[in-house]
Amino acid sequence: MTAITIDLNGVRIADDVEPRQSLADFLRERCGLTATHLGCEHGACGACTVVVDGKATRSCLSLAVMSDGRVVLTLEGLRNDQIMDILRRQFHECHALQCGFCTPGMLIMARDILQRHQSPDANTVRHELSGQICRCTGYANIVKAVVAAGKDLAAAQAHALAGALAEAEALIQAEVQARVDDQVRAQEDAPPKPGTE
Amino acid sequence: MADHPPADGWIGASLLRKEDARHLLGHGMFVADIRMPGLQDIAFVRSQMAHANVRQIVKPPEAAASVFTLADLGPIAILEAGPELAAHRHSPYPPLADGRVRYAGQTIAACMAPTRAEAEDLADRVTAELEELPAVVDCVAAMLPDSPRLFEHWPDNAFITGNVTEGDPPALQAAPVRLRRKFRMNRQATVSLECRGVLAYWDHRNDELTVHLSTQGGHVMRIAIAQSLGLPEHKVRVIAPDVGGGFGGKNRIMPEDIAVCAIAMKVGHPVRWIEDRREHLIASVHARDHTYDLTISADRDGTLLGVEGDVYIDAGAYSLWPTGSFMEASMASRNLTGPYRIRHLKLNTFTVATNKAPMGPYRGVARPGACFAIERLVDEVARELGREPFDLRRQNIVTAAELPYRTAAGMRLDTGDYVQALDTARDMIDLPAIRKRQEVGESDGRAIGVGFAFYTEQSGHGTVEWVKRKSRVVPGYESANARMLPDGSVIIHVGVQNHGQGHETTLSQIAAHELSIDPSRIAIKYGDTATAPFGFGTFASRSIVFSGGAVARASRMLIDKLKRIGAHLMQTDPANVRIEGGEVHGPSGSVGFAEIAYAANVRQEHLPAGMDPLLDVTATYEPTETGGVFAYGTHAAVVAVDPDTGTLEILDYVVTEDCGTMINPLIVDGQVQGGIAQGIGTALYEEIPYDEIGQPLATTFGDYMVPCAPEIPTVRMAHIVTPAQATEYGVKGLGEGGAIAPPAVLANAVADAFRKIGASFNETPLTPRRVSEAVARARRARDDAA
Ligand code: FES
Ligand code: FES
Repeated sequence: MTAITIDLNGVRIADDVEPRQSLADFLRERCGLTATHLGCEHGACGACTVVVDGKATRSCLSLAVMSDGRVVLTLEGLRNDQIMDILRRQFHECHALQCGFCTPGMLIMARDILQRHQSPDANTVRHELSGQICRCTGYANIVKAVVAAGKDLAAAQAHALAGALAEAEALIQAEVQARVDDQVRAQEDAPPKPGTE
Repeated sequence: MADHPPADGWIGASLLRKEDARHLLGHGMFVADIRMPGLQDIAFVRSQMAHANVRQIVKPPEAAASVFTLADLGPIAILEAGPELAAHRHSPYPPLADGRVRYAGQTIAACMAPTRAEAEDLADRVTAELEELPAVVDCVAAMLPDSPRLFEHWPDNAFITGNVTEGDPPALQAAPVRLRRKFRMNRQATVSLECRGVLAYWDHRNDELTVHLSTQGGHVMRIAIAQSLGLPEHKVRVIAPDVGGGFGGKNRIMPEDIAVCAIAMKVGHPVRWIEDRREHLIASVHARDHTYDLTISADRDGTLLGVEGDVYIDAGAYSLWPTGSFMEASMASRNLTGPYRIRHLKLNTFTVATNKAPMGPYRGVARPGACFAIERLVDEVARELGREPFDLRRQNIVTAAELPYRTAAGMRLDTGDYVQALDTARDMIDLPAIRKRQEVGESDGRAIGVGFAFYTEQSGHGTVEWVKRKSRVVPGYESANARMLPDGSVIIHVGVQNHGQGHETTLSQIAAHELSIDPSRIAIKYGDTATAPFGFGTFASRSIVFSGGAVARASRMLIDKLKRIGAHLMQTDPANVRIEGGEVHGPSGSVGFAEIAYAANVRQEHLPAGMDPLLDVTATYEPTETGGVFAYGTHAAVVAVDPDTGTLEILDYVVTEDCGTMINPLIVDGQVQGGIAQGIGTALYEEIPYDEIGQPLATTFGDYMVPCAPEIPTVRMAHIVTPAQATEYGVKGLGEGGAIAPPAVLANAVADAFRKIGASFNETPLTPRRVSEAVARARRARDDAA
């Protein structure tokens, strides 16, 4: 048994694991986090994809001990994630899931794609999804959902940016005004310099 | 994907799916997700050899009690599988080997440990001494008199043989055009992304065996489990939780299911077996594996006359309960005329046992092979006559005026407009533009080809059809139990299973339409034999026809009672009331369902005198035409092929299809696209070859190619809507259709690309190697001739 400490979905977990245990089995069997699915257990289907230190990672191919000291996020830990919110909505609206078994891995990979590509086009998404198997949907609606989510995200970011700019501008304006006011006040308050009048 | 006009009611509305939310949040509950105190895992010792006598099974002494052989499971009844025909030979298939193994991967012993890894460790420590026997791996050679036998008491290796003779086949000898071609559609797996899984335990409180099973039909599986273990059915409860795809592969009782249930009866705690992908590829349901040797006859004017020849089905080592794979041969031969006016048929069929994993159903069952054969033959005749293949199809296809049309093999094609489907596909793919493009040639040296294929998809076939097929289980109806609760919300229990099809959504749309309430007020429940009325499950494109019909009928029965109670409350005659917006309206006012349901459930003093309380009804449904209703469509594709490497790119893929009335067009499009992706898998990628000693050569996703997003185009679709006459709302089943035509259409497209050199492409999958070798062969032949 090997002692490991993982930041898992924002919670510090300390546990003893068999050195041979995969991260996927650790998450599912030890931690009860069953959103992470196993479709092949040999790194080919992507159903088990989780986020390790910010990178999409196949949890069936990494060992729990390799995650020692790392930050791990599973779908359960992305309930309040802005990108995931958008992806969930688009997957729903585009009918991008049927049996739902590939879905958690798809979502995590899609989030990873959107973090690396600004508003990706369909070809980019297809290429980037090439390691994820979905047996039900024929992919078209998944690609559509990710592209749409990319657009939504860009819009949200632009909106946030515009909002932040406007806010910053307002702040600057206020600041400038305040300074002007200060100066005016300072001038008013200041005793007249000798010899200026 | 197609654009759909907005619907003005729930029928035809692209309602977003109710099942999505749990999966999007990671709250799906698949068998492997179920946690139980004391749960232990099972791993199987499997045969390393294709064919062998099991001499001895040596258990590690320190863990002998955790290793189970057949003798340790207790008395198990081995169920006879296949059709109820004396001519079909019984292939007893025990849950663990009984002294003989007949395919690599067959279960020999079961090992139990607290974790799966430890169970696998234990399985490694069990020694199975095998004495190798000669393996039968080629289904045609298997029928030669000197072939080794799988079952000594059989006279040969055929599960069953048959023949189909229609019209006047001897007259075909004189036909001006006679072409003989051989086709192979190779063996593949079904590959649900969730592998199989079973978790079983004795539930002491309910005094029953509870079995969580990843299955397409729990009630039918319960019959098998109860019979195998000698339990009465009321002591067995089968629960199918979320099921991660089935496609036919989860519609048979499998040896692991019985073994795990038997072990659960022996030990005092829950046990489970979660299949891994290697097990799935070598020992789950295998499919396709058809070999055709056919001669097509035609007139010089292109009129197709008849098809003769042999159809071989390589069915693997055993028949899987209930129906085995016998339907492959009959469905293949009955579909070999396609939608064409071919009136003469003479086919010999052989369903052959080989030392390979048992065959079962897979989306499309037999029809992908039949469609591949006939549609390739049509193209070959066209080429022989120097005709455009599209035109030859159009010349021979049954027209709308001829429908309903009984094919030579006896199938009644019911409604639609096949010519329109062809023409629309031709226009969408722009055939003339591709012919022009081919004349110009490609600057990158690739060859462009266009292919067409037409399919029909029998769906919603009922009692008469299944009885004719001698089916052991006759899925000629479905059932629905509808209950209105005191607040007016509705729960409907159905006997079908939902593993991606969206029934929670579509069936609630049907009930919403009938009941005039919002689908959010209706819950569809399934997947538990303790609560669902008896039903057969989801397969054969049957659910929307059968279960949709049952839900409609049950809803109408509720309406009938709601009206009678509502009329009574309004002091009027039931004939004077109507239903609208969740209320019963009378001549002078209305009363809401909630009020009526409250009375019916908890304030029965408000009911008409003598009326039974409750709003709780059960309906069954079978369509009026039990030969089935036929969805159909045309697929067309343009491919670009590199002649030297054989790699292929799909440049365009269109489909025009008619599944009658669409309950939810969004879901229809999803089924079509998903089916086509699987069909493309069959056509180009997926294969489980066996070597000459019967070893499977594709045992991981490293060597079994499942297409991913870059390989699957977004299909352009057009829908023709010809409502069926024999079903509720005019629906036709459509789950399988997408998977039927892709092998035919892609092989035709590749053949078109190389038509000038006469290369032939008659075997799937069309791997780069098969394509490049076919091109090289044709070039050599051309050069030799020159
Ligand atoms: S389960 Fe990890 S890649 Fe398939
Ligand atoms: S939705 Fe079933 S595998 Fe993707």
